[in-house]
Amino acid sequence: MSPAPKDTRRRNKAERMRRVGKLASGKFVSAKSVPEVLKLIIETGDILCLEGDNQKQADFLANQLATLTKKDLRDIHLVMSCLTLPAHIELFKKGLISQVDFCYAGPQGQAVAQLLADGKFPLGAIHTYNEIYARYYVDLTPRVALIAAVQADRQGNLYLAANTEDTPAIVEPTAFSDGIVFAQVNEIVDKLPRIDIPADQVDLIVEAPYPMHLTALFTRDPAAITDVQILMAMIALRGIYQKYEVQSLNHGVGFNTAAIELLLPTYGEQLGLKGKICKYWMVNPLPTMIPAIESGWVEGVFSVGGEVGMERYTAARSDIFYTGRDGSFHSNRAMGQLAGHYGVDMFIGATLQIDVNGNSSTVSKKRITGFGGAPNMGCQPMGRRHPTKAWLQAGAESNPGPGSIPGRKLVVQLAETFQSGRVPTFVEELDAQDPAIKKALHGVAPVMIYGDDVTHVVTEEGIANLMACRTIEERRAAIRGVAGYTPVGLKRKRSETRELRSRGIIQLPEDLGVSPSDVSRSLLAAQDIKGLVRWSGGLYDPPAQFVDW
Amino acid sequence: MEKFVKAFPSKPLTWPRGKQWALAGVVGSGNLEVLFERNPKTTDQMDCHVESSIPGYKDSWLAALGDFASNYPVGGTKVTIHDQGADPIVVTFRLRQAYDHLLKKTT
Repeated sequence: MSPAPKDTRRRNKAERMRRVGKLASGKFVSAKSVPEVLKLIIETGDILCLEGDNQKQADFLANQLATLTKKDLRDIHLVMSCLTLPAHIELFKKGLISQVDFCYAGPQGQAVAQLLADGKFPLGAIHTYNEIYARYYVDLTPRVALIAAVQADRQGNLYLAANTEDTPAIVEPTAFSDGIVFAQVNEIVDKLPRIDIPADQVDLIVEAPYPMHLTALFTRDPAAITDVQILMAMIALRGIYQKYEVQSLNHGVGFNTAAIELLLPTYGEQLGLKGKICKYWMVNPLPTMIPAIESGWVEGVFSVGGEVGMERYTAARSDIFYTGRDGSFHSNRAMGQLAGHYGVDMFIGATLQIDVNGNSSTVSKKRITGFGGAPNMGCQPMGRRHPTKAWLQAGAESNPGPGSIPGRKLVVQLAETFQSGRVPTFVEELDAQDPAIKKALHGVAPVMIYGDDVTHVVTEEGIANLMACRTIEERRAAIRGVAGYTPVGLKRKRSETRELRSRGIIQLPEDLGVSPSDVSRSLLAAQDIKGLVRWSGGLYDPPAQFVDW
Repeated sequence: MEKFVKAFPSKPLTWPRGKQWALAGVVGSGNLEVLFERNPKTTDQMDCHVESSIPGYKDSWLAALGDFASNYPVGGTKVTIHDQGADPIVVTFRLRQAYDHLLKKTT
């Protein structure tokens, strides 16, 4: 019989900190002592959280952790949102990890697939962001969290700057369960612009010899937007934004949604939609939103992370963005995901593959990327109770029964029928259903957005309104009807497509008053990055890789 | 290289006054050109002449052209397509653009 629970964890934490002893001066440790400190504070069997977010990485701490060997560290249960860095993969190659629970492995998708195939990736589960943060409070509470901040002051308070991202969601459950919070910071200063994490929740701090890794993930150059993407943007604006009067929304980060943002001040204005749609946004500070913001379309933007180069612009537009009292940009992934789940009329985003039932996935046979946040937003929030016009209108179309929610969130998949290289987007079966992948993921295919949650599929061919379909056969016919000349599209029956069109379930561009001959790149409010800088009045500082002038 | 000629049944086009032809797109890498002209020999079919730099997609071409002739009244036209490896999604788009140009009244 195990002893009754008391304060074992607190005493264990004190013991770990005692081991660190003179290696720390107050909360501060030197960069060169970090491998030793990590050995002293992490114990065999620990749940270890290594901060790896969508954009920022505790890369110095990750690199130091990856220098340790099985003699120093073993049987670690790693929990983190994004496996992004080579150092993350190194931990598995060295056999330090006995279980991993994570959300997303973008750039390391191929390495993860390989580790899985080699039996070196002891996977618990792949989560969505809020799902893993929720488990940090339940059964995956970290004993040690290695996090990243921009600055610390002498007391140990932390400033997270624009990319707050996951940090509060990691620190709170760790700090309030007698875990150890160890932060790398870019610099130690006398006074912080604002305090994001109070010193009381931080145990150890190191000034890293190099600034933390940060990716400009959401910058889309308008110059790369194609005619077909503009056509799709026009179709979506008329057939969905205008039809449902979408007030609040989340945009994905592809070129398709960038095209919509850049059409608002031109085509949207022509349609008389300003002030009627797209007022409240849950998106990162996307540079392609600058023209719409400057034209007065946008009331507010809340973000899960920052975007490199948008700091001065967002500080000067604090009516729109959430900022500290000095104008410094603020984000929060957990709260942003919550806002995108419960607070918005619509999620609209692109995908790599859609099957004939409307399920979508970004997994391909050689890459396991996971989910990130898309499923939190691209799903029906069954706990939602507050009505909006769009929610009720969509709900009425989806023919609710006596036991169902009266409203529906619009969940829109925006995808060209072919990806680059003539790879069809529409398939009979997702690559995610590959038996080897399913086996590695405990029998569950990694579907990103389920067909039952999707309300509309928009392609260059037109719109399929899936929620208005009454049977699964009808839904499949609607998807084939807009799947173009992919193998899925070629199987459509002309009579079925015509019948669905007569009921408005399939809408072609001409049914929406969109004329392909009106499609022109001149409709984009900005033609290139330089145009965005001009719209911002010189406040947007694009990262070097986007500057060609 | 893929080259074929095929006629598809279609309802007769009512030609706008003064219009003899319409063009959309350009022959350039990843793009294609669509030319609509009058075909005096017929009023109930769309005669298509397709030249594509990429072989092996005849089924997609036939399906796209057949759907187009079925969805729009384009009988009495000759359609010439020069394709330089356009993505399949560009094909229908350029057809519709050329058709739009054809119907637009000249001012």
